[in-house]
Amino acid sequence: MPPHPLASTERTGPAGRRTSAVPGRSALRIGVVTALPPGRNSLNEFGFHLVKHLATVHETAEVVVYADETDAGPPATLAGARNVACWKFNDVGNLWRIVGAVRATKPDAVIFNLQFATFGDQRVAGGLGLLTPAVLRMLGVPSVVILHNLSDNVDMRDAGFAGNRATAWLMRTAGKALTRALLRANLVAVTIPRYVELLNTRYGARNAVLAPHGSFEELAMPSFDVPPGKRRILAFGKWGTYKTVDTLVEAYQELLRTGHDDLELVIGGSDSPNSPGYLDSVAKRYADVPGIVYTGYVAEDDVPALFRSASVVAFPYTSTTGSSGVLHQAGEYGRAVALPRIGDFVEIIEEEGFRGTYFEPGDPVSLAGAMAEVLDDDELREDLGRRNFAAATGIPMSEVVQWHVMHINRILQQQRSRR
Amino acid sequence: MQINGERHDNGHRIAVTGRFDAHETTEFRGYIEDLLAQGSRRIRIDLSKVNFIDSSALAALLHASRAAANAGVEFVLADLSDPVRVIFELTALDQAFTIEGAATSGPVGQLA
Repeated sequence: MPPHPLASTERTGPAGRRTSAVPGRSALRIGVVTALPPGRNSLNEFGFHLVKHLATVHETAEVVVYADETDAGPPATLAGARNVACWKFNDVGNLWRIVGAVRATKPDAVIFNLQFATFGDQRVAGGLGLLTPAVLRMLGVPSVVILHNLSDNVDMRDAGFAGNRATAWLMRTAGKALTRALLRANLVAVTIPRYVELLNTRYGARNAVLAPHGSFEELAMPSFDVPPGKRRILAFGKWGTYKTVDTLVEAYQELLRTGHDDLELVIGGSDSPNSPGYLDSVAKRYADVPGIVYTGYVAEDDVPALFRSASVVAFPYTSTTGSSGVLHQAGEYGRAVALPRIGDFVEIIEEEGFRGTYFEPGDPVSLAGAMAEVLDDDELREDLGRRNFAAATGIPMSEVVQWHVMHINRILQQQRSRR
Repeated sequence: MQINGERHDNGHRIAVTGRFDAHETTEFRGYIEDLLAQGSRRIRIDLSKVNFIDSSALAALLHASRAAANAGVEFVLADLSDPVRVIFELTALDQAFTIEGAATSGPVGQLA
């Protein structure tokens, strides 16, 4: 019987270096372009766990992380990985610097952990960076893009990327061009089934695949109870632009008015890079509202306790860029959620197995109603928590990274067969 | 989801029926683990009556396939229903399995 493509049949070579179970195939050196903690650029936590799990895959000899340079200090170091800090948010030189670093370190393939604003919120820097996967492929380095959102699904004006209709049109057009550029990678992995369909139908893609988000850790069954004391409504994220908390604060006030007097509203996280000072302005605006807690940036170690303390996690978004990393986190900790009915967002997350109570975006009374459904019904709260836990932990990231490795092996095999 | 199994020669034939998603994977994994513990030499999974499958269930199939391979057990999927075929096309993971009957051949063969 031939070795299973995902079989854990690691062998160790004479120098202790891993060799593949497949004859004639040496273990892989995989590059990963990503943001990493302690920097706070988006997808840093996903990147951290991606690298951590990739480094433990049996067919991986080494992970070379092309990490971001930030003011927070050198990127986190993980066992089995080495960091090459070689790009910076909003630096127009990122394309050349990353390509240079890849050529110097010679990985077998490079995985990009991307959303559209990974390399910057300034148009030239942000756009140039997204050309990197295509350039690497042209140079013969297989590139796999894990793409967390699609520009097609973003309302450019609402998201704060465009001030008027004409600019929004230009941004959409640029977004489509950049999507085509990203599809020049060998493989584009998206986390939602209908994104694959969209890339196939709208862009004629033949290299888009589904690769689920994956849960960061293999978690034990959480408690679905809530701690004693005031019941907490949690909202968590990088705030500003289309993720604002004003509607949530108004909904919270509505709940207080309707007799829910044992509540606390916890606004977790910091400002979006696009909206510095946003949360300070919120705190001033609602200074007279009791029971609001602003946590500021939440360190990785403090995230579990924060989620576990919540009776309901609210998503007061007015646009979405697809499924949500925060939703996956809420699921991992068995929390009930209140979600906006935006476009096909509800269908998308229900396809992934999540369930919540739903509200009309921008409508505080509707949001208050959705949260009250959970707060007033312990059975519903627990049922939603259990469902969301099952959805979020269905596939641990340790399994998803093996899918990526298998795709890389297939790409390398196809390259070899063409030579 | 229903799982029905029968012994066949030195292996087992299993038919999965209904919705196969994140809420069902624990039962499926347990069922396969039991078969491997019993010393089954061949496991054939009939997926013709699965009317919904998500990526968590696909991961469970992969997990089972890998566990079987590590135990030296032949693991075969058979007669994929349309929803199962679609998830294989979306993920391009068909090469991880031995498939009998309606095998997948989506556009995902051209990755490079």
